[in-house]
Amino acid sequence: MNFSETVDTAALRPQIYNYLGFHGVGQSEQTDVLIDECIRELEKTARFRYLYKSFDSPPEFLNKEPYTEFLRGASGVIISAMTLGVEVDRRSKLLFRTDMPRAVVFDACASAYLEHLSDEYEKTIGDDLSFRFCPGYGGSSVKDLKYIFDILRPEKIGMALNSSDFMLPSKSMAGIIAVGKKTVKSCKNCIMYGSCSYIKEGSTCYGSVKR
Amino acid sequence: MLRLGEKVIVFDGGFGSELERLGLRGVPEELNITAAEEIKSIHRSYSCADIATANTFGLNPIKYHGSFSLCELAQKAVENAKASGNPVFFDVGPSGAMLEPIGTLTFEQAYDAFKEVAEISRDIADGYIVETFSDLYELKACILALKENSSLPIFATMTFDSSGRTLTGSTPEIAANTLAGLGVNALGVNCSLGPRELLPIVERLVNATDLPVIVQPNRGLPVMENGKTVYKLSADEFVENIEKMLDMGVSIIGGCCGTTPEFIERISEFSGREVRKHAFAPRTLVNSANSICEIDGVKICGERLNPTGKKALKEALINDDLDYLVDVAVRQQEAGADILDVNAGLPQIDEKTVLPKIIKKLQEYCDLPLQLDSSNAEAVEAAARVYNGIPLINSVNGEREVMDKVFPIAKKYGAVVLGLAMDKNGVPKTARERCEIAERIIAAAAEYGIPRHRIMIDTLVVTASAEQMLVRQTLDALEMVRKLGVKTALGVSNVSFGLPNRPLLNRTFLSLAMERGLNMPIMDPLDGEMTGAVRAFELLTGIDENAENYIDIYKDFTPSSQQTLKTAKENKSAATLYDCVKQGLKAHAAQLTEEELKTREPMEVVSDVLIKALDDVGRLYESGKLFLPQLISSAEAAKTAFAVVSQHMPQDSEQKGKVVLATVHGDVHDIGKNIVKVVIESYGWTVIDLGKDVPPERVVEAVRKHQPFAVGLSALMTTTVPSMEATVKALRADGCKAKIFVGGAVLNAETAEAIGADCYTKDALSMAKKLDELATEK
Repeated sequence: MNFSETVDTAALRPQIYNYLGFHGVGQSEQTDVLIDECIRELEKTARFRYLYKSFDSPPEFLNKEPYTEFLRGASGVIISAMTLGVEVDRRSKLLFRTDMPRAVVFDACASAYLEHLSDEYEKTIGDDLSFRFCPGYGGSSVKDLKYIFDILRPEKIGMALNSSDFMLPSKSMAGIIAVGKKTVKSCKNCIMYGSCSYIKEGSTCYGSVKR
Repeated sequence: MLRLGEKVIVFDGGFGSELERLGLRGVPEELNITAAEEIKSIHRSYSCADIATANTFGLNPIKYHGSFSLCELAQKAVENAKASGNPVFFDVGPSGAMLEPIGTLTFEQAYDAFKEVAEISRDIADGYIVETFSDLYELKACILALKENSSLPIFATMTFDSSGRTLTGSTPEIAANTLAGLGVNALGVNCSLGPRELLPIVERLVNATDLPVIVQPNRGLPVMENGKTVYKLSADEFVENIEKMLDMGVSIIGGCCGTTPEFIERISEFSGREVRKHAFAPRTLVNSANSICEIDGVKICGERLNPTGKKALKEALINDDLDYLVDVAVRQQEAGADILDVNAGLPQIDEKTVLPKIIKKLQEYCDLPLQLDSSNAEAVEAAARVYNGIPLINSVNGEREVMDKVFPIAKKYGAVVLGLAMDKNGVPKTARERCEIAERIIAAAAEYGIPRHRIMIDTLVVTASAEQMLVRQTLDALEMVRKLGVKTALGVSNVSFGLPNRPLLNRTFLSLAMERGLNMPIMDPLDGEMTGAVRAFELLTGIDENAENYIDIYKDFTPSSQQTLKTAKENKSAATLYDCVKQGLKAHAAQLTEEELKTREPMEVVSDVLIKALDDVGRLYESGKLFLPQLISSAEAAKTAFAVVSQHMPQDSEQKGKVVLATVHGDVHDIGKNIVKVVIESYGWTVIDLGKDVPPERVVEAVRKHQPFAVGLSALMTTTVPSMEATVKALRADGCKAKIFVGGAVLNAETAEAIGADCYTKDALSMAKKLDELATEK
């Protein structure tokens, strides 16, 4: 992998504050330090794995809305899955036992860290990729994750899907990426649109734009 | 006839890549029936190997849900593999589900699945190749199931990444010690990486075992070409690195992803070659899934999870408060323990049920290897079975019937056994007699196939107050027993019983004993003087090279700092309890509460200080001036204060009620629920936390048992809202009178009403306030 798993914490900080519910205000030196420490700890604990397959034409399960709309005009599609590994979950669990405030920050940092590493990794795949569209969002069914698991078999990178279609370990994601089509993540089709706490607070979740 | 461990044996190679090459799509295991001829042709192309692997990798009841029966697929797969003309090993891959605690599959469910695999294969195959496992716990369930339900040989391999660990964090040494302990016939590594990248891992495996080592590498590291995985390593380079492995002492070779008949043909030239013998020094090792401990030098065994003389632990055990035990374990780990003793021996407790439950809970949080301490052999067996690693068993003694009960368990689970140098006549007076009992124990262990390095001897501490002259015999015995080639242990602090200034005697005795050959003091690791004596000994005897560990621990030491070491991280301080809670300084909360209690009644401290501080923090949180981490810090500080206040409350004083909390069935997200727990506890509510993925019937059962004021249910995603609804219905059907709260990312007031809940609260603080409001109305 020719990308670095060491990150510039300052760049991730706004997103982490967002996850913590700070919504752009109330940053404190104390929390900054905690975020720094958690990121450094993640660099040691996380075992980032990224798995993908690309297709010239979409696999069958994508022949329905909202995927067809998302993939319209794309020259190909990438199916991907990625995780920080079980040791992050283990560490998080211990922190919830020994140091709750740190645990909450660690959890937010882990989410931002996974998003960041995945974005960075995708830059090594190509420069004409859309954002990752994940089943369960944007009006799609979380049940479609099963197809992604059938295609990729991400068990080999230590991921599993439980009976309620949750991906394990908890810091794992899956994505459908349109190739040759620059699309931006937007709020309008999101399942949370209407009740989203980020929008109420005047911000958005990771990398989304209000449209 | 294959001569395992003497002559090199060659397995076949990659199957998936061959299926792809032939354009065979679909569930690989079903192809055994739907494309039998093609499968046979692949097996034939690998006939140059010594052993064929049946096409059964995903054939288990958890992973396979197709239209054929497991049994018919198994039979066809073995029949197809026989086309190679070679003995057939049944391929057993991971279940595909993730085990607890990260996933939801229980150890017992995994065992049952692999038991079914054993039942469909034991009469038709020649052996098992258990491969591509990355979770040691799942692998243990698999090996136990295969061994208990068949008599075929088992070769077991795990996958490691370039960091030298499996995906769940086990090292080659941990894998080797555990698998050898469980009695596999060969162990090793498959898949993972290419042969060159695997060399360091193979070297570590070979050095860690005297069993035959098996290696089945991929065809180098894959590269992505147009989104497809491609392996490009040449057969020459593959062969060259395989030969290096054989030179290290590897016995069994084969190929994994990307390897083709050409590769296996090339390495089959090594078949029948003499296996290179390598030096192997047996060591006394215990391990968890993530950490391995060699009992050598001095290793501290933490004694605080033994209820003898510990009132709070006794109560926790009786009340099934496993969280308390986890806290004790984590504190000992942080204080520098190497192993933890676990004992649940109380007359009120069914050890056979409780000990394994404790072990399962502790290993979720604590990395240290565990010592299973019980005189009840059934409890030891139940605990050893669910232990994720190789435990230490405490204990046997020189009595034949005790050894006959415990040694079969130790043999089966690969445990190290601690033997007490005593028998039915009690503790012998002289060192010579104690050493004779040790010899008897070692000889009896050997009859059960337990080697000397899996035995430790406790030469037994007597109290200096009662038998002063025998203290020396204990020390002499240490030296004599060490000469037998076994490691030693002592429950050090017994020496001072009944005498004043016990710490002084304990640490002096500890120093004497270490010098005479004590390897494992069983002691309180939180006692800084005792752990200090161990660290000093390690420095002075050169175990701690360049004094690195010692300096790291004591670099900030000043005589007065010793007592305050634990709170050193808290550089802030608060003048009053109110400030302390508001600033979230948990470390000072207990002391400041005690001070408040000198001048105020307990209830006043609650209402005038704690509630006031929490309300102020709550207001700041609601107005966006304080944030989640600070809110939680304050809640934790308040919780600590409440614990102190409650000790001063009159026994019959009115307390706020109980709240049962659970993340509903199917949902494994419990962060939100954990935050709710700490916040409402800080408001004085007693929380019964049922954890995550809790089935409705368990919630109903807990509500019946605890009669709470409220029930809080959490769900994170739309898919588990039906499960939440089912829980609410089950509670109503059972006549639950408690208020039912629901919360979680996808919930809102409308959904809450639709599924029949009483209250929806958007976050932890609103729930705490709503609870108080409802309690006042009542």
